[in-house]
Amino acid sequence: MQTIRLFLASLLLCLSLLGAAWLQSRQPRPVSLLPTLTGQVEYCLTCHADLPEISPSHPVETFGCVLCHGGERLALDADLAHSTMRGGRNPSEFAVVEASCGSGDCHSGTAQDQRDHIQRAVTSVQGTYAGAIASIRFTYGAQSDQTARLGVYPVQDDHLTTATGLASLGTFDPSQESSPSVKAFADYCLDCHLSAEPLPGAQYARLTGCAACHTPTANTDLDQPVHHLTTAIPYTQCNTCHNRGNYDLRQMQFHPRTDQPVDRLHDYYQPIAQFVRCEWTLDCVDCHTRFEAMGDGDIHSNKKEIQYIQCRTCHGTLDELPLTRTIAGQDDLALRMAFLNPVIDLKVGDTVLVTEQGEPLWNTRQLADGAFELFGKATGQRFTFRPVMGTACEQKLDQQESRDCHECHSVKR
Amino acid sequence: MKANPTRPSFFHHLHPPTIPAPQARFRYTLGAGGLSVYLVLLLVITGILEMFFYVPSPGEAAESVQTLAFLVPYGWLVRNLHYWAAQLLVVVAIIHLLRVVFTGAYAPPRRFNYLLGLALLLLSLLLDFTGYVLRWDEGVQWALVAGTNLVKSIPILGEGLYRLVVGGTQPGPAALIRFYAWHIFGLTLALVGVGAWHLFRVRRDGGIAVPPPEARRDASRISRFELVRREALAAILATAVLIVVASILPAPIAPPIREGSPLAAEARPPWFFLWVQQLLKWGDPFIFGVLIPVMVIVLLAGIPYWLPNPRPDELGRWFPAGNRAASLLLVILVIILLLLTILALSPLSTFP
Repeated sequence: MQTIRLFLASLLLCLSLLGAAWLQSRQPRPVSLLPTLTGQVEYCLTCHADLPEISPSHPVETFGCVLCHGGERLALDADLAHSTMRGGRNPSEFAVVEASCGSGDCHSGTAQDQRDHIQRAVTSVQGTYAGAIASIRFTYGAQSDQTARLGVYPVQDDHLTTATGLASLGTFDPSQESSPSVKAFADYCLDCHLSAEPLPGAQYARLTGCAACHTPTANTDLDQPVHHLTTAIPYTQCNTCHNRGNYDLRQMQFHPRTDQPVDRLHDYYQPIAQFVRCEWTLDCVDCHTRFEAMGDGDIHSNKKEIQYIQCRTCHGTLDELPLTRTIAGQDDLALRMAFLNPVIDLKVGDTVLVTEQGEPLWNTRQLADGAFELFGKATGQRFTFRPVMGTACEQKLDQQESRDCHECHSVKR
Repeated sequence: MKANPTRPSFFHHLHPPTIPAPQARFRYTLGAGGLSVYLVLLLVITGILEMFFYVPSPGEAAESVQTLAFLVPYGWLVRNLHYWAAQLLVVVAIIHLLRVVFTGAYAPPRRFNYLLGLALLLLSLLLDFTGYVLRWDEGVQWALVAGTNLVKSIPILGEGLYRLVVGGTQPGPAALIRFYAWHIFGLTLALVGVGAWHLFRVRRDGGIAVPPPEARRDASRISRFELVRREALAAILATAVLIVVASILPAPIAPPIREGSPLAAEARPPWFFLWVQQLLKWGDPFIFGVLIPVMVIVLLAGIPYWLPNPRPDELGRWFPAGNRAASLLLVILVIILLLLTILALSPLSTFP
């Protein structure tokens, strides 16, 4: 009797051991990765081996996953592994960006080392939404002028470089506002700054933080993860916030556009706006520079203070050629930008257009005959154009803004 | 192991040649004492295996636990077995205590061995707590801070004791290495030493508590071979159950405590200290967190000395009449501790 009991118990023990062995055999085979930048082994690829590399400038062998995303590098349990990820799926959210994109001084620093991407983006008008807030508060009498005082989060800048730069912004707190319209603005209109969750709908689909622009997700399902960072940002991504409809300031409502554009020309939406051909054949980022889109490091009151590209930046005027610069060395910013998005085979010795603030338009190049070529950053398409000087243009010397050019060159829809 | 009555093996020799059959029954002993010994053995073996991977430094402790749990083949099994065997040891040791009090087996000459047993229970709890802290992850942070702060609350001695236990003014690298040393060496050595003493005293005090020969209704005895077979059966079954439990229910694990990691929102000590946590919600940490638990221990230790003991002819069975007071006291104590534990778990109960 005892022997049978012992035998049965031993059988049970063997079965439990077999069960444990079966469980062990079902464990995923750990796939290790030793990124050169961290020197710490991580096992994320055990489950995420099929994820595409985020960009050629962030090779996974160099960066790994944890440097940007955080998380538990050794855990093979999904819940534990993901529990400490920065910003959930998006480590570029401004709340955590300094620890992810900014770590190792990669994208965080000063204007001198040209690594102040985070400082610029966080203080930019697109980040703080200071322009819209100041404009609405001014309109409804909550402030006496249009100078920004508040942003969606507080920022300060100890080093002003422009005449319109502000030292700091406080937090826009709707509960402190007395005007019902300003309160309504806070309730219905804070959907388009870089930290805001987008409105529902594929046409608004974008992430937040840096990824709002650098991870193109327009017209996709946001529930599908996207592992992509790029400086080739198509106009459709800008359109997730811009060019989406109109605002009714009396009702404090956003009226989405109702048309169904079938081509690129009609995707440009401002019912009364005039524009020229290059404004819809090119992508927004082909003309608008890093300072304009990401900020110049100063806190500004509105878009007008930061936007400075005009037609003449590329085309010049009747008596002036556009500004240019010849690339002198390998360290030139233009070469570095072209390296990130190789739509153009820029070389030392090439002459590129530069803006009046000295920003290189790195996707352009002067040709031997004095004309210029431009490559679309998102499309790779090649365009050529001539300076205005020496043409039959009737442009007046004191009317150089784009609206003046629109007088003759606007496209009919 | 060949059952040869003329040449008992080493394992057979650890047992008396025969013991009374009625008191060797499972329904009398519940197998709790023997199972405790086996669980300690299992804990020592799995603990030694864990030591090959565990790194007792704040920066690496939790990650080395993750390595063991996820990357080392069968590491998860070793860790989960260690965890569940430790939980089971506390349960089984308490069952052993209940059995001894409810059968009056603590009566002289076994009074001193009862105290040794109580010391073993305390050592098990301390081992459990120190082992829990060794995870050094967000899940243990609260218990670590609250537990060590209790030491600080003791008047006069508190500050000095805290420095002795924690090795500084707040839990850090020194605290971890101290908990580690206590866990794998100091407390384990004490447990094994006092445990051996406890087993020795069982034999010296005349083996399992039985009535005097003239009062026994059933005089039959079983041999040490039968006893070892029963123990082996219990050990094999316990191992099988533990392996199944360890395979299905992983031991708790959480992200490492890092610079600036916030204190977990849900503050839970290990389950056997939940009643203390509940007491702490009611007032002064010294009175409710130190004095009352110490009084509970003193009360338990005083049972053989302050309360009427059962008569010798009442021994060897459950709930003898001469042992009413002790049984009643323990029942009340158990109910109070259970109620406090349930209160601590209920969502209504929060810190003021």
